[in-house]
This record gives sequence, structure tokens and C-alpha cells, in this order.
Amino acid sequence: MEIFFQQLVNSLSVASVTILIGMGITLIFGLAGIVNFAHGEFLMVGGMATWFLVSAGINFFIAVLGAMILVGFLGFVAERGLFRFTLERPMNGFIMSIGLSVILQHVVIRLFNEVQKTIPDPIGQVWVVHGVDIIVMRAIVIAITAIVVAITYFCISRSRYGLALTASIADPDTAALMGIPVRRYVTGVFIYGSVLAGLGGALMIALFPITPFTGSVVIIRGFAVSLIGGLGNVGGAVVGGLLLGLVDGLSAGYGFPEWTDAYSLVLMIAILIVRPQGLLGGTLGPKAS
Amino acid sequence: MILAFLIAFPLLNLGYRFLSLAITTGVTAIALYGLGIQFGQAGIMSVGHAAFVGIGAYTAAIVAGMFGIGFWLAIPLSIVMSALCAGMVGLPSLRVGGQHYIIITFCFCALLQIILTNGGTFTGAATGLDVGSIDHLFGINFDQLRNIYYLVTLVLIICLVTTYLIINSPYGRTLRAIRENEMLARAIGINIGLHKIGVFMVSGAFAGMAGILQAYYLRHISPILYGPFPSLYLALMIMLGGSRLIYGPLIGAVIVSFLPEIMRLDPIDSRIAYGIGLLIVVLLLPGGVSAGLLDIYRRLRPRSLK
Repeated sequence: MEIFFQQLVNSLSVASVTILIGMGITLIFGLAGIVNFAHGEFLMVGGMATWFLVSAGINFFIAVLGAMILVGFLGFVAERGLFRFTLERPMNGFIMSIGLSVILQHVVIRLFNEVQKTIPDPIGQVWVVHGVDIIVMRAIVIAITAIVVAITYFCISRSRYGLALTASIADPDTAALMGIPVRRYVTGVFIYGSVLAGLGGALMIALFPITPFTGSVVIIRGFAVSLIGGLGNVGGAVVGGLLLGLVDGLSAGYGFPEWTDAYSLVLMIAILIVRPQGLLGGTLGPKAS
Repeated sequence: MILAFLIAFPLLNLGYRFLSLAITTGVTAIALYGLGIQFGQAGIMSVGHAAFVGIGAYTAAIVAGMFGIGFWLAIPLSIVMSALCAGMVGLPSLRVGGQHYIIITFCFCALLQIILTNGGTFTGAATGLDVGSIDHLFGINFDQLRNIYYLVTLVLIICLVTTYLIINSPYGRTLRAIRENEMLARAIGINIGLHKIGVFMVSGAFAGMAGILQAYYLRHISPILYGPFPSLYLALMIMLGGSRLIYGPLIGAVIVSFLPEIMRLDPIDSRIAYGIGLLIVVLLLPGGVSAGLLDIYRRLRPRSLK
């Protein structure tokens, strides 16, 4: 039983990072209508920035902020410089984001190298609760994720900005006529999603090593989370992330670890075929082109 | 002219490096023609195309290993196997469209890589499988690189001609009707489902052919060759070259394979250049380089006539 709880705690911290990236994708894909394949690379850049800052002797939590700002700026540049021009033709935006992910990956390899990067555990303490070891950093990751999820959820479903955002997805033309700056909202959502990716990357490197190729692994899980939960649905991303995190964590402990990645893929394909709108329902994303 | 160049290419004696590069390009172009029909004509993008190349390659390797079936007999097997798998992967496209389907193809591709890696001795796990050499046919020895080059060129030309015939046939027009307006196509009595699955199978068949050629050219295949990343690169090449015109896929493959070599970029720089080139092409030349060239040609021609 203690092993089970141990696995559960570990899975939860993995799930937190997955939730963060899934939430970014679900917002950008479902609300801004952009399929950003480079989102995983944004996360990787966030992780690399954290590593760079921490190696330079800066406190971990300040480095996290730095990574979030950097990745947010990256998102701003990408949206204004690239995706803005393909909002009418999402397929081209999708292809472009693949190009962007190739560029980011190799620029990072060029700047640093392709060896995996780790930082020392920023807290370095372990709580023991009834025989279950809880690494404090993992608990902090879970807590930060929970706070971010709560903030995002309330902003989208309760604030007037969230309402305006929902309106501009439902009917961009009418929303624009009502005085909502639709394009500015698209940019805003894109930047917010990117900041989440930066945070996810920064928290991820506190738990595991990151390589320049991490982004491509993470992106599949991110899409899985957002599509399982329903696009644009923050609650769905949380459910999807928990589901995937638990399936992964428990399969690593009990099942066949070498098939771990396959579970999320199969789950995602099955859900896309049976319920394209996701488990909890969401927007169908941008119109198929 | 292009044909003459293709045949004369080995006679230029540019050395082993360029000849093997040309073979890789040819194999890639064959696979790209499949994707070209699927994306350019039917308008269904896939980022899992390398999976079907992989299925073709692994089919050839496995039948060679288990039953001793050589290259020539394995060709139809690989093609059929890839086409069947492509048809199966195509089934979800009847229900989900657009970007959701692209993500599904990506998942299938990642899934295939995991299956191949975990397949034990049957698929050779992560290290992959070794493949023998191509059997002699009509006294031609395919151990020589130059003869493999001619074989690949021949297949490439067959693919070009097939693509040309498909584009200019009623079948091609049907596919374009589906691309432009699926509802309208359905309304005038086109069986959308049948044609979509059909085009996936055609596309898969091209990929299977590319796969078996690649397996016998490289002599060793491993799952890493057929994962999501090679698939993404195939998708990028088709966008770069342009998918709707007959020479588009070939141009895409040539640009991507030869440009870094000619400009002497190392792999990392060339990938960066490749990505930037893609961004520029998508933003400025949505039809790809081939459409861009055609456009320039059309603009220049009337002027010279006047």
C-alpha cells in the first residue's frame, strides 16, 4: 500500500507538468485557434533558460520567473511575427509551427549542446508521511500547478475578460462588432499559454533532466491531454493530465514500463475517434481547412 | 531534359557521397509523391507518412528474414502491406477532419515506433534488422551503387508518370472536388469515404515502395528511421516543394537533401536554415517553391512574347 501511495505522489508531480503543458495547448488550440506544434519546444526553452540561470548562480524561483518572461516573449514574437498571418488558414500555421519547432530545437543545440541538463534539487528536503517519502520540490510543483489552474479557471469562466474571450471564439465577427479587440485576445491567449509552457519547463527541470529533444516528447502528451479533456476546457486539461499522469505513473510501477508512451497515444486516438470534442466537451478548435 | 540529367547524373562522377545522396533523395521523393497525391490532390495532410515507409521497409526485411523472399518478390508484398495499413489509419479521417486527423496520424506514427522498438526479435527491437542485397536481375548486379541509383531513378520516373496520370484523370478531379468542397462533392454523388480511403492506400503504396528501396539500399533499418520526426520532415519537404504540381515533391526532396551539401552547412545549421526556409515559403509562397517558380515563369513568358 505504501508503494502505491509512493507511486501516486510521484505520478501527481509528473501529472502537474503534463497539466501545465496541456493547459497551454488547450488554450492556444481551443481558444486562439492556433495549433502550435512548437509548444513543446517552448517548454524546453523554458527549462533550458532555468538551467542557464541557475547555473549562473541565480536563485531557482527567480530563474523560473525569468524563464516564464522569456518564453512569454517568445510566444509574443511567434504570434505577431508568424501565426498572425495564418489565422485564416490554420493548416499553414500548423506547418509553420513544425518549422518553428525544428528551428528552436536546433538553435538550442547550437547555443548549448545536446547533452541533458539537470539542476540540483532547489529545496533538497524530503518529508516522510506515514512511510511515504515526499520530495518537497515535488509537493511545491503540485501546489504551483494547482494555484495556476485555479487562477486560469476563474479568469476564463468568471471574469469579464474570460467572457469576452469566449465570445470572440464563438463568433469573432459579432464579438468584434461589440467592441472586443479579438486579435488582441488571440495574442493574449497565445502569450499566456506560452508563459505556462515556460513555467512547465522550469518546473520540469526541477524534477527531471531536460534535453533539447524533450519538447518533442512532451508535445504529444500535451496534445493528448488537451484533446482528451476537450479543447479550450481548463477543467478538461486537468482531468486529462491527471488521467495520463496516473496511467503513466502506475504503469511504470505495475504494468509494462516500455509501453508507457503507447497508452497515452492509444487513449488519445480512441478519444479522438469516439468523442472528438473530448471527455468534458470543449470547442472543436479551429474549423477544419 | 530532367530525364537526361537524371540518367547522366552518375556519369558526372561526382563521387560516392553525391551518388548516395542522390539515391536518398530519390527514395525520399518516391515517398513524397504518395504524400503529394494525398495532400495536393485530396487535401488531407499527414504527419505520419514515414510510418508507411517503415511498414514497407519492415515488411521486406521480415519476409526476407523469415521466408527468404528476395527483393523482387517482396516489392508487391511491401506495397500491399503499406497500402493496407495506410487504409486502416485512414479510417478515422471519415469521422474527424482537419487538424485533429493530422494529430491522429502523428500518434499512429509514434505508436508504430514504439511497437517496432518493443517488437523483440521479430522487429529486431531498437537495433533494427539487417537486410541482404538485391538479387541479380537480367544479369544486372545491384551491389554497385550506380545500378541502385538507376533502379531508384526508374521507380521515381514510374511514380512521376503515375502521379501525372492520376492528376489528369477523372479520379484526380474527383479527389480535387473532395479537397475543395467535401459537402458539394458528396452532394453530386461522390463516395467520399471510399475515395478518401482509396487515396490513403495509393499514398501508402508509394511509401511502401520507398520503404523497400530504402531497406535494400541502407541494408539496415531501425525504428528511429520511421518515427514521428522523419514524418515531420517529409511533411515539411512537401510544403517546401509544393504538393499540387507534378515536380513539387521532387523539388522539395532535392532542396532539402542537396542544398546543405552544396552550401556546406553542418547538420544543425542546415536544420535551422531548413526551418527558416519553411517559414518563408509558407508565408510568402503558400504553394511551395514549385508553384513559385511556375508563377515567375508565367509572369516572364508573356513579356517575352510581346
